[in-house]
Amino acid sequence: MMSRNNIKIFPGAMVCEESKLRGDITIGSGTIVHPSAVIIAEAGPIIIGDWCLIEEQVKIVHRLPFDQQSNENSQPVLIIGSNNVFEVDCIVEAPKIGNNNVFESKCFVGNKVTISNGCTIGAGCKITDEQILPENVIIFGVNCQMREGLDRPGPQTLQMETLSKMLPNYHHIKKPNMKKE
Amino acid sequence: MELRDINYNKGEYVETASGNKVCRQTILCGSQNIILQGKVIVQSEAIIRGDLANVKTGRYCIISKEAVLRPPYKKFSKGVAFFPLNMGDHVFVGERSVVNAAVVGNYVYIGKNCVIGRRCTLKDCCVIEDNTILAPETVVPPFTRYGGSPGVQVGDLPECQADVMVDFTRGYYQHFQPLKLI
Repeated sequence: MMSRNNIKIFPGAMVCEESKLRGDITIGSGTIVHPSAVIIAEAGPIIIGDWCLIEEQVKIVHRLPFDQQSNENSQPVLIIGSNNVFEVDCIVEAPKIGNNNVFESKCFVGNKVTISNGCTIGAGCKITDEQILPENVIIFGVNCQMREGLDRPGPQTLQMETLSKMLPNYHHIKKPNMKKE
Repeated sequence: MELRDINYNKGEYVETASGNKVCRQTILCGSQNIILQGKVIVQSEAIIRGDLANVKTGRYCIISKEAVLRPPYKKFSKGVAFFPLNMGDHVFVGERSVVNAAVVGNYVYIGKNCVIGRRCTLKDCCVIEDNTILAPETVVPPFTRYGGSPGVQVGDLPECQADVMVDFTRGYYQHFQPLKLI
């Protein structure tokens, strides 16, 4: 397997040293990665946009479904948009993620689910069937009921401002190694 | 029924003067803000986020494997503040549970794989069943059982719940012993 790590961090991003990053990963400015978050780029590179919040125990895995694994030449890129929130202990394997989504604690998103914009995956919900989630969809409850929200979830910029002041006092932050475009 | 001994490798745990047993494989952020009152067990890969705000536990608390204690935040017009997380005595937190509560009372049992939402208040002597998801800002009254997603009351508890929890956590602590090589 490829074991080389190629991690690009844009200025303004906060990636704690204790997080586990494997493979080819690009992290946009303003994104916060908490300690013990796991990001694994197995099938191809992962690009994370600006102002994402990735909390502890989150697992973002870029892994292809079995039927697509045969063609080895192509290297699909997992693009995660901006302003997404990944809460504690969620597992996300989606091949594409838009902007302004919230993945609540302990939710599971399988590798056949494409996420558009403004979606909320409720705490403990598991979605695995092949589908494309329309915009502003909210998934909630034991049976993963689905309904459309009136508005997209509010941004977490306030929390991230506070975090970006507090985290450097307690953690070693990986130094950005890219310049602004 | 007497608990079986739960053995651990002596090298993996640190025992403090007040009797806390903390695994070396835990992630304790901002340890100067974490207060463990004594006889607390923190098992491997648990996460306590003292960097966000103070975390205070009582005596005889058990934090199981891969559990997360994380102080809650609250939005104000001028930014966000993290609130301290206070936990009472004789509290059990099951494996892989996420506790975002503001207050956890005494004699509380939290099962496995639970999510205790932001700024919940768990009063004394309540039980949260396995796989429960408590919505943010839920108040769990004393002597109740909560379960489901979102968590609702599913039953009541007898008055002896406090004694049951005292026995359970004391027994757990006494049977949590280092492996003896014979």
